[in-house]
Amino acid sequence: MHALPKLGVGLAYQAPLNPLFDIASPPIDYVEVVPDIFWTDRGPAVEPRYVEDAKGLGTVSSLARRWPLVAHGIGLSIGSADGFETDHLGQVERWWQRHRFPWHSDHLAFHLAEHQGVRANAGITLPLARDRESIDLLVPRIREVMRRVPAPFLLENNVYYFDIPDAEMDEATFLDTLCRESGCGLLLDLHNLHTNACNHGFDPFEVLRHLDMRHVGEIHVAGGMELDGFYLDAHSDVIPEAVWHLLEWTLPRCRNIGGVTFEIFGSWVESVGLAAIQADLERLQALWSRCQGEATAQPAQREVGT
Amino acid sequence: MSLQGFQSMLFRLIAEPEFRDGIRAQKPFPPRVELSTREMRRLRAIADDRGLDINRTLHKGFRLGKLRALLPMTCQLLGSRRLSRELSRFWLERPPSSFSFLPEALDFCEFLKRRRLRMRYLHDVLAFERALLRLEAAGADGHPEAVAFEHDPAPVLAALAAGGRPRHVPRQRVDAVATRGQDGHIQWRMAPH
Repeated sequence: MHALPKLGVGLAYQAPLNPLFDIASPPIDYVEVVPDIFWTDRGPAVEPRYVEDAKGLGTVSSLARRWPLVAHGIGLSIGSADGFETDHLGQVERWWQRHRFPWHSDHLAFHLAEHQGVRANAGITLPLARDRESIDLLVPRIREVMRRVPAPFLLENNVYYFDIPDAEMDEATFLDTLCRESGCGLLLDLHNLHTNACNHGFDPFEVLRHLDMRHVGEIHVAGGMELDGFYLDAHSDVIPEAVWHLLEWTLPRCRNIGGVTFEIFGSWVESVGLAAIQADLERLQALWSRCQGEATAQPAQREVGT
Repeated sequence: MSLQGFQSMLFRLIAEPEFRDGIRAQKPFPPRVELSTREMRRLRAIADDRGLDINRTLHKGFRLGKLRALLPMTCQLLGSRRLSRELSRFWLERPPSSFSFLPEALDFCEFLKRRRLRMRYLHDVLAFERALLRLEAAGADGHPEAVAFEHDPAPVLAALAAGGRPRHVPRQRVDAVATRGQDGHIQWRMAPH
């Protein structure tokens, strides 16, 4: 059984952020990496299926010498009804044996589905219906992940530009039920929640007020942009004030949390600027320290993702 | 089984605009696909949702981004308009099947070869990037990749790497062999014919 260590503020790795990682004391406490970008998936019919990127592994090792690494996968497609990517899980297991990340995560969504007779990849995370059927599909898979990778496992609430109507549960109930029945933790992506609230016209605090914060193991924050009347989870900017408000409300309530991670896509680093990114990281660290100071009087109530 | 059909239809709504149009026009779902009444109702509602346009844009952008990353010079040579036209044809026959998209990029190379487009330097640029991808896909077990260029590849590739287009490079047969070192670096040995 594993409780989440209190790491602090993390930065999701992107190569254009290297100048920030290279300064003497960047305002980060851990680095989040997407393992999938450091290997080539040659498909299920090829042996070995996964070929590691030697140069990329050098980068990961170099980061690991300075900070704890947390793995945030994009390839599990845990909600796919047509099958579970156990090969992918094996690859995550190999990465855990190598890097021993204190926890790992993936997305509460699916991107693989049968299309034109093959298993096709949408390249985007697609929403799952908030139904009992989805819970029943996910729980045994989550348990298999936790059995094979002996580190706490978190699932990230999804961003969705269309919702699946006639849901049996609201989002908070769905997330709580999934965490409670499977034993996984929640990677609460506040920018996803903000994006959904903007596009679907609901109050994000209403979701947060009903969410069991004991399940939250990590928080993601990011910035986005508008396109065709929609607000996108584009990871293209600094953290908007609306997301800061969500974070300031949420973080003190997450007694079991291990860290808050800032995400920005590499292609936006230059236009946003390293100074602005660094300023957000410093603000995150100040908020984290304040919340941890407030939390010392109250011990964690249960372990997350165990 | 029914959830599997639902997800498959949801994928089609994103990947195939004509299919979405049909569902919006109350055409029936394919008879071989098992769907509950609720799933059919949900799919028709989603087909009408403007949010699906965003998913379509992101889906296409993701596939295009992967191909641009894996075949940068081929995409540069084709130019935006021709690339878009060829991709539309290619995507009709080839669904995406892997997150790394390396197999898809290799298939796009084969597709372009089959198309026999009359475009100067395309044979050379395609052969060059295809060899790199094949070595990447093979990993440590890869065999050397032989390429017979029709022009001196150095000025052709240099122009594309600089964001331009090659001009007035004379025809010249150049045989080359690419190998992948243990550190993952690719080495080319060239010999003018």
